[in-house]
Amino acid sequence: MFDKEKDLIDALARRQIGRREFMRRAGQLGIGAAALSGLMGQAMNRALAQNGDYDWKQHQGTTLKLLLNKHPYADAMIANLDSFKELTGMDVTYDVFPEDVYFDKVTAALSSGSSEYDALMTGAYMTWTYGPAGWIEDLNSYINDPSKTAASWDWEDFLPGLRASTAWDGMPGSELGSGDAKQWCLPWGFEQNNISYNRPMFEKAGVEAPADMPALMAACEKLKGANGDVYPIGVRGSRSWATIHPGFLSGYANFGEKDLINDGGMLKAAMNTDGSKAFHRDWVKMIQEFGPKNWSTYTWYQVGTDLGAGASAMIYDADILGYFMNGGDNAEAGNIAYAAIAPNPEASAPTPNVWIWSLAMSSFSNNKDAAWTFMQWASSKEHALFGARTMDFVNPVRASVWKDQQFLDRIDAKYPGYIEQFETSAPGAKIYFTPQPLFFDVTTAWAAMLQRMVANEIGVDEGLDQLAESINDQLSQAGLQ
Amino acid sequence: MHHTTTGEKILRGVLITLALVFFLFPIFWILLMSFQTNAQILRIPPSLFFEPTLINYTSLITGELQTAAGSLKLEFMHNLWNSVILSTGSVLISLLLGVPAAYAFARYKFRFSEDIAFTLLSFKFAPPLLVLLPLTLYFQAIGLANTYIGLIWVYQLITLPLILWIVRGYFEDISPDIEHAYRIAGHSWAKTFMKISIPLARPGIAAAGLLSFIFAWNNFVFALVLASADKQPVTVGALAFVTASGIQYGQIAAAVVISITPTLALALFAQRYLVEGLSLGAVKG
Repeated sequence: MFDKEKDLIDALARRQIGRREFMRRAGQLGIGAAALSGLMGQAMNRALAQNGDYDWKQHQGTTLKLLLNKHPYADAMIANLDSFKELTGMDVTYDVFPEDVYFDKVTAALSSGSSEYDALMTGAYMTWTYGPAGWIEDLNSYINDPSKTAASWDWEDFLPGLRASTAWDGMPGSELGSGDAKQWCLPWGFEQNNISYNRPMFEKAGVEAPADMPALMAACEKLKGANGDVYPIGVRGSRSWATIHPGFLSGYANFGEKDLINDGGMLKAAMNTDGSKAFHRDWVKMIQEFGPKNWSTYTWYQVGTDLGAGASAMIYDADILGYFMNGGDNAEAGNIAYAAIAPNPEASAPTPNVWIWSLAMSSFSNNKDAAWTFMQWASSKEHALFGARTMDFVNPVRASVWKDQQFLDRIDAKYPGYIEQFETSAPGAKIYFTPQPLFFDVTTAWAAMLQRMVANEIGVDEGLDQLAESINDQLSQAGLQ
Repeated sequence: MHHTTTGEKILRGVLITLALVFFLFPIFWILLMSFQTNAQILRIPPSLFFEPTLINYTSLITGELQTAAGSLKLEFMHNLWNSVILSTGSVLISLLLGVPAAYAFARYKFRFSEDIAFTLLSFKFAPPLLVLLPLTLYFQAIGLANTYIGLIWVYQLITLPLILWIVRGYFEDISPDIEHAYRIAGHSWAKTFMKISIPLARPGIAAAGLLSFIFAWNNFVFALVLASADKQPVTVGALAFVTASGIQYGQIAAAVVISITPTLALALFAQRYLVEGLSLGAVKG
């Protein structure tokens, strides 16, 4: 590498120059985009090596295999993988599977005790199955061992809500991140659920981004018909856990409502309280009057596509879904803005439930220490910065990245309100579900009941009483009650 | 002799047109989508008029997909090649094993013949996932995991019973008299089988081969569980267009058009044999 290019990259890494200045000088030196990414990876290596608190070469010659989901997070990592190989002398192969089948592949690989994969991507909810089954490792033994972990890796730099949300002691109903919780995975990238909206459509209807549920309903009323056939709000509705976890649970938790309560070690359904019934009534009314026509088929994809194509005026879903819809070849690219929402007018702050893409280590791996070296690298500050500055590795899980001016400038310029919605809601962002092994059964039953309520097949009060009864039955049969 | 009236002819024409529209419209719509960009497909309201683009096909063939989240590498052509290897390989092996076996089951009554035939058929009853998890362990132990040979072997669960049972029915329907006549002329059993039985059963073999090829081509779960990404067929690979940053409808449509082409070509090719076999007949009753 030539000295001039090296100095330039190092200056950027040391934050002596800004991104714009860096791009200008890179252009003068004739460095293309692909070369730039490679050069930044090399700068990252130098930064990691300079820390001097970890022998990155200790597993030289080892080959690791990863199981990855097709996602911008994985893309950012793969784009930087050569720098890992160079830094460690290790080789890495990987299988990437689309999300629709990804967890089937993970379950098949882990349940058969396959040693093929050393590390894998997972969601935090899935570790409630994988962890107690003995399929993935408790990472505390690595994190807390100074001989295995670089001091500069800085576990405390990960956002506290995410550290807690990915740790569980395996006792159904116990608090996530409690004292003796096992750290089943490392947070890698995450989503908060808030409002992403179409700014021109809001301006045309003369409405502001809603700050709570009454304001949301009032905004929907004004948006209805203000932009032709555009419907006011998109939320998910398929018969799946994925319908419950984004906007719905975020709003629900904001009213202090819970899915289950832990009554002296016994779990009990809590969806039929007065507060829960009131929230459900609002939510059902919102979908019936202002939601998409085929709401019961809506998943991540339909909610996002409608916002991007200009079929909906806003979504109450993952902030990064709104982020993606503001770019690419979407018809509304450049028109999307973001706002935090605390549906309960009496709540002091938003309480977004979070989805956390994480890295876990297979218990069947034959190269666990080497896998940990990879996991440290992939979750390092340096890689998080690389992904956040140059790729779509958002939302970063590290506090330090959220202080990086280059990253903040990039987001602020293209995604108006994104940083504000993040900062407003981050303190209350965590998993609001009760961890327990029947997570998928409970949430699927909940979504199915929500569908019946929206279709007017059953009243909200009666439906929630029935739901609570059926979930209590399931919990009892599973010995959790 | 019955003469069709003009009214009947018109009615028949209308009904055929309706049936064709019903069955072919989705394919026609997909074909149109494959020449549009995502923005054109998703525009509101949808329109039949658009400026056609070849970008979906080029991105599939070159392996570069531009999405909201940047450029993604696509393995679609490799997935297509995997499908060709897996489906063709498994059908050929099934034909090699299944046709003589079908002949034996049709012509000879031996001990446990029905039980063996039924056991082979019963492979089709087992839920694939039930078989797959233990198989994963065995395959890893004997080094067959993530190999074409291993997958083709497992694909026999789909193709072999189908070929065996369909072709067996054809052999049973063919009178053994012609074979006997040929044998009396001094020909060996093997020659009789090759020169008389197989040509007579050709329509059945073609139909069974085609059907099992389609089943193998459409299989999803076997390769998903037993193989790494580099051995995945087109059924799994096509899901790569469903990304976190959006669904690439244009590329999905182009992928559908490309992936039905081999099956369509084979069906058109095999049709000749089907018609030929049926029209020639065998023995007059």
